[in-house]
Amino acid sequence: MSGIRLDDVTKRYPNGVRAVDDVTLDIADGEFMVLVGPSGCGKTTLLRSIAGLEDVTAGTIWIGDTDVTEKTPQQRDIAMVFQNYALYPHMTVADNLAYGLKLRRMPKGERDARVRDIAGKLGLDELLGRKPSALSGGQRQRVAMGRAIVREPKAFLMDEPLSNLDAKLRVSMRAELARLHERLGVTTVYVTHDQVEAMTLGERVAVMRDGVLQQVDTPQNLFNRPRNLFVAAFIGSPAMNLIEAKIDGGRVRFAGIDLPLPGGSPLAGQERRVILGLRPSDFEHAAGADPDWPRIRVKPDVVEQLGSETLLIFGVDAPPVMADAVRAAAEAYSDDDGRLFAGEERAMFTASVDGKRPLGSGEVELAVDFTALHCFDPETGDALAVRRDAQPVA
Amino acid sequence: MTSETASVPLARERRRSAIRLPRVGLHLFLIVVAILWLAPVIWALYTSLRPYSETAEKGYVSLPDTITLDNYTNAWNQGEIPHYFLNSLLVTLPALVITLFFAACVAFVVSRLSFRFNAILLIVFLAANLLPPQVVIPPLYRMYLEIPLPTFMSETGKMYDSLWGLIAINVAFQTGFCAFVLSNYMKTIPQSLGDAARVDGAGVVRQFFGIILPLCRPALAALATLQFTWVYNDFLWAVALIQSGEKRPITSALNNLQGVFFTDNNLIAAGAMLAALPTLIVFAVLQRHFISGLTLGASKG
Repeated sequence: MSGIRLDDVTKRYPNGVRAVDDVTLDIADGEFMVLVGPSGCGKTTLLRSIAGLEDVTAGTIWIGDTDVTEKTPQQRDIAMVFQNYALYPHMTVADNLAYGLKLRRMPKGERDARVRDIAGKLGLDELLGRKPSALSGGQRQRVAMGRAIVREPKAFLMDEPLSNLDAKLRVSMRAELARLHERLGVTTVYVTHDQVEAMTLGERVAVMRDGVLQQVDTPQNLFNRPRNLFVAAFIGSPAMNLIEAKIDGGRVRFAGIDLPLPGGSPLAGQERRVILGLRPSDFEHAAGADPDWPRIRVKPDVVEQLGSETLLIFGVDAPPVMADAVRAAAEAYSDDDGRLFAGEERAMFTASVDGKRPLGSGEVELAVDFTALHCFDPETGDALAVRRDAQPVA
Repeated sequence: MTSETASVPLARERRRSAIRLPRVGLHLFLIVVAILWLAPVIWALYTSLRPYSETAEKGYVSLPDTITLDNYTNAWNQGEIPHYFLNSLLVTLPALVITLFFAACVAFVVSRLSFRFNAILLIVFLAANLLPPQVVIPPLYRMYLEIPLPTFMSETGKMYDSLWGLIAINVAFQTGFCAFVLSNYMKTIPQSLGDAARVDGAGVVRQFFGIILPLCRPALAALATLQFTWVYNDFLWAVALIQSGEKRPITSALNNLQGVFFTDNNLIAAGAMLAALPTLIVFAVLQRHFISGLTLGASKG
């Protein structure tokens, strides 16, 4: 077991594209690190560089105390789980599990014992004689995991290992993965484009965009203190509501709504334009919410009752934010959250409120947790310090 | 409701009749083509089973009085067919194995490794394939007379008139095509399999022999079937590069059944049928691979 350190790693393709741009990342021994970002953000390239499957253009990669930048994959002693599992189709499950050990010249007796042990743990005993084509998706997934575990490598590298499973299996395998990591405690780097997976699995999450590391932090901090507009828009489901607003006299004004800034906010004295961010979860039914929170009246276009929570989607009389960062984050989720950014003329907000409380038809009064406002610089997209206590992570 | 149920069988009826006419036409066409293809073979088979005296008297287009296998026994003994079969095998099998091995090596480099000259390499191999073989006979003949071989390989001490020379030229001419087919096939094998093998600790050689080559089995079987037929059926090189009659493979040795003044067509037909037998057997045995090779790329399991 050992940690992984990346020092100024850059990968430039011959056509000039910088897939990974000057990434420095320190992954502690035994840590579960998730690399997340929209497709094409360089996360898989970075993972493959750690594996040694891609040469880096510049920078150094350390596994433990060894500089492995120039080493071949087999010399790095890591195991990788691929998106399509990459099981050897012509070998049985047992041979698939044993292949890496065989190449490392482990004696047959020891090899067989290890394979049997892992097969027992993963419930693969019955399947050892089968070929991958005779396995279900979930079983193939387990074999792929088993092949990584059996080697007892210094680190696991996982490239979207759950994305080929159906939704239900994915949720249960996610929990299994978390348990597995807890039991083995091996350093793991996990690539996904699914921020829910990232938030639930990662001890720390590294958000990437266009090859550049945007923020590396715990899931809670990414959610509560996004460093910039991209991270804010990317992390969280439903995504953060964003709108252009004006700060004036200690209040934030947009689309006929005005909200107070938190007490003692460094922004209070300023007069400037910002992009305001409000998490859907920072709205609440007016009845029963903190009486200090400001109220707004909205007329929902769509009401989605999900059981425990209800999503209210309503229009705001202001144009949607069309910053590149927001669009890039939205494109990653065009299938579920695209609607937030799709309305060209009016920004659409989503509020997530308690599902148990009945909603009347027509207008709804919502309370806004103004202490959880996010503000971003409209030019740079960087987060601005809103609260006195919380300096933005710079 | 009633109108709906009534319209369903009607629509089905219409669809069926719409399909029928072109179908019938297609089948008729296929039947005609099949007959055109099979007719010469069937006629040769028919001729080979009739005695010469009978066809000399009644002509080849006539009903048979006697059906006999005499022509086959005569061809077998008189034409020394077993000897020439052996020659054919001595050329075909090594040529087949070497061709497929070389082609697989080239295809592996071209399709699985990032090598600067990949595209050029493949084009060169393909271009050589487009060259009509007849064009190179004169220079090749000269070259073969110049290239020395140890006497245990060739009695004349030259490439010319040796089975080695025949193997070499078949390998040279077939590798390009096989490399092209195999490289296309190897491209369909997911890149991640190679990556997985590398992470597991396999070097290039191991990846080739342990992962890629076994996965190419369907393509190799299909190519082996084709190559066996082509190399075995080769007539041109055997005639051009082999001088001694007894070294010739069976295709060109059929000539031995032809007399100077008199030709027994029935005997030659029997000899030709015997010569065709191995390719038929190979196809029958490898047919499963052949068909799976044709469909494997379509659906990944």
